[in-house]
Amino acid sequence: MLIKGVERMQKKWLGLSLSLMLAAGIAGCGGGNSNKGSATEAPEAGTAVPAATAAAGSNTAASEPVQLKYWTDDRHDQEYIKELINKFNETNGENIQVELTVMSENYAQSVDIAFTSNQAPDLLRLKSGNTAEFVKKGYLAPIDGYLTDDIKTKFGSVIIDNVNRFDGKVYSLANTGLTLRLIYNKDLFAKAGIANPPVSLQEMVDDAKKITEQGKGEGVYGFALNFKSPKSAFDRSIREILSLSGYQGLGFDLKTGQFDFAPYSQTIEYFKQMYEDGSILPGAETLDIDPLRAQFAAGKIGMYLSFSTEPGVYQDQFPTEINWAGALAPTLEGQIKGTSEIVSAGTWLGISAKSAHQEAAWKFMQYMYGDDILKTYHEKGFGIAVVPTIVEQANNPEINGMEGFLVGEHDSLWPAVPSVTPEGSTYADAFFKYILAGGDAKAITEDLNTRYNAALTKAVEKGEVTVTPDPAFDPLKPQGE
Amino acid sequence: MIYKWRRLGENSLFLAPSIILTITLGIYPLFWMLRYMFYDYAGYGEALFIGLDNFRRLLRDGLFWESVRNTFVFAGGKLLLTLPLSLLLAVILNGKLRGVSLLRGIYFMPTVISTAVISVVFYNIFNSYNGMVNTVLMKLHLVSAPVDWLGPKHAMLTVIIVAVWGAVGNYMLLFLAGLQSIPQDLYESAAIDGANAGRRFWNITLPMLAPVAQMVIMLAIIASLKGYESIMVITEGGPIGKTEVMYLYLYKLLFPVSTGSPVAQQLGYGSAVGFASAVIVGAVTGLYFFFSRKMNKVY
Repeated sequence: MLIKGVERMQKKWLGLSLSLMLAAGIAGCGGGNSNKGSATEAPEAGTAVPAATAAAGSNTAASEPVQLKYWTDDRHDQEYIKELINKFNETNGENIQVELTVMSENYAQSVDIAFTSNQAPDLLRLKSGNTAEFVKKGYLAPIDGYLTDDIKTKFGSVIIDNVNRFDGKVYSLANTGLTLRLIYNKDLFAKAGIANPPVSLQEMVDDAKKITEQGKGEGVYGFALNFKSPKSAFDRSIREILSLSGYQGLGFDLKTGQFDFAPYSQTIEYFKQMYEDGSILPGAETLDIDPLRAQFAAGKIGMYLSFSTEPGVYQDQFPTEINWAGALAPTLEGQIKGTSEIVSAGTWLGISAKSAHQEAAWKFMQYMYGDDILKTYHEKGFGIAVVPTIVEQANNPEINGMEGFLVGEHDSLWPAVPSVTPEGSTYADAFFKYILAGGDAKAITEDLNTRYNAALTKAVEKGEVTVTPDPAFDPLKPQGE
Repeated sequence: MIYKWRRLGENSLFLAPSIILTITLGIYPLFWMLRYMFYDYAGYGEALFIGLDNFRRLLRDGLFWESVRNTFVFAGGKLLLTLPLSLLLAVILNGKLRGVSLLRGIYFMPTVISTAVISVVFYNIFNSYNGMVNTVLMKLHLVSAPVDWLGPKHAMLTVIIVAVWGAVGNYMLLFLAGLQSIPQDLYESAAIDGANAGRRFWNITLPMLAPVAQMVIMLAIIASLKGYESIMVITEGGPIGKTEVMYLYLYKLLFPVSTGSPVAQQLGYGSAVGFASAVIVGAVTGLYFFFSRKMNKVY
């Protein structure tokens, strides 16, 4: 009896020790990954591109299908993408089967987890917000080896450093981009006796005031932005006002390769004026973009600035009866001295550095980047085409209001600017504070210049960013001739 | 002896799951953070050892110290309203009222509802363009123009009100448990001696409740210094940092929220801020424990 008891106890202890060892193992794994850092994997990723002649995909074609996983966080186009994938799976002739996974939230985190646990997809949806980080982490395989002369000609003008090309290697190609416009309620403008949308910031201030005076009794205000996140608000408004006025829109001076927030601060004065006039929707300080859209759709806001996603939003998410349109953003002095920056452009699909079927993945990418698909993508209104040959061929999308957002003579891509993390407030928070609480604009601007340039110097020293000043930079031709 | 050993084995087995989880999810990450607070580390890529630089930056980080100040305003406001209110409710609901269980349930309800849901509802109640509070105030002609409840002037008050609403039921329940452990015969003998209700509350209820109250207040202090969830949903720390509390600032450094500031993940500096925040909460709790030590020695 006694011996049995002891044996039983020994077994239990054995179980317990095993569990502890397992736990220690898990902890050890985590430590290993975090210590090693993915930066060390990046160079390997760079050299891991198979030559175009490698037959990773076709060798296995005869026997069993090559399974490719494609991950995206785009939901608006998923039905169309599914249709395209089905067609590819049936017709590719090399037994390649693509499986689509649409992520709802936390795409970047899901990708991180997939790469750390060796379950990475073969193909990834890349956006300008995540590409640089994915490249830094070594997730992506360069596609230079696959680029034929035809492809180079077609996409050449939209291959941009630090957007889809990093350290001389191309990781993705452009499909669509977002344009930014002033979005205005035509009825409210007419009611206030204003014939056209503002072309200068002074006009914008005056119009906002008139609309507010006319409509305040019914809760109508001239202007609003989603100031809950000042950066999100300014990066969809001031960015565009500045680029069309001839300045880079995030406070960077491309000519000197340094941050200079002086033009930014000039623009801010007009926003401050609107706040002091009481022309901004009360409560805009804590407004998110969707509540703002709901108020605009209800006819309570005269104008705001935002992306070319808005027409889709007012078609599906907040269907509205109001008569609205998009127009070019106003400029500092009413004269167009630059081009309106097309954002989130330059990337669409990319290949995982860990994929065992990179050749097959490229086959799929090549299919997706075909003229017909890019054209239809634009015509269906999923995004605005930025590839020059597609822009020429494609018809206009049939979505109300989209005509105001199409790429025109005043739109173009701009060079990417270095992304730095300064100590203290961001430019958006500092300037928004100035709008609400006042202060010394000059001192704020100088402080921002100092902090951002210090962070830039540090990032350059660490090798995280490279800066090449371009004294001949022409804001009317941001991509050169 | 063998029996004792057997019990130890069994007990260890029962304890194992929580010990393993605590070690892997609680203690291990803690050491990890303690290490990275001496590094310049974004969360990926290279980690660069920089000694005490993160702490030097912390000392000159105006945003952090402003968040510390905001934390004390928020916690102070929340405690000053929550504790008396929850004690009052507990005393009332400790009586023999009709439907007392139902009322206790109702007051406790906010504790079980998700903070995010509560916060979205309160945002809709308080927002200045079509919020319910302004609509009612204007209909009653108490205000002529909408009050900007979430603007720079009133945002802190608003988030305190939401926090109090969410916390009162919870502390009421804890006080109620304390009240029910006070022997009834004390009240009976006091009543025979001619003590009225006020005196009984002052001379029996309060002192007898002291040991429980000491713990409840401590929990409330820690919770209010660490609380940030409702603020994150309602104002995201804004406008212009007026409701940015310490743990929200920390959260944003470790897990950047949307495009709000700070925009990029800064794990190294975030670890230093986390350490400093924990020290501050620990120090306040320690001080409270020291000054309230007599509350424990009532009987």
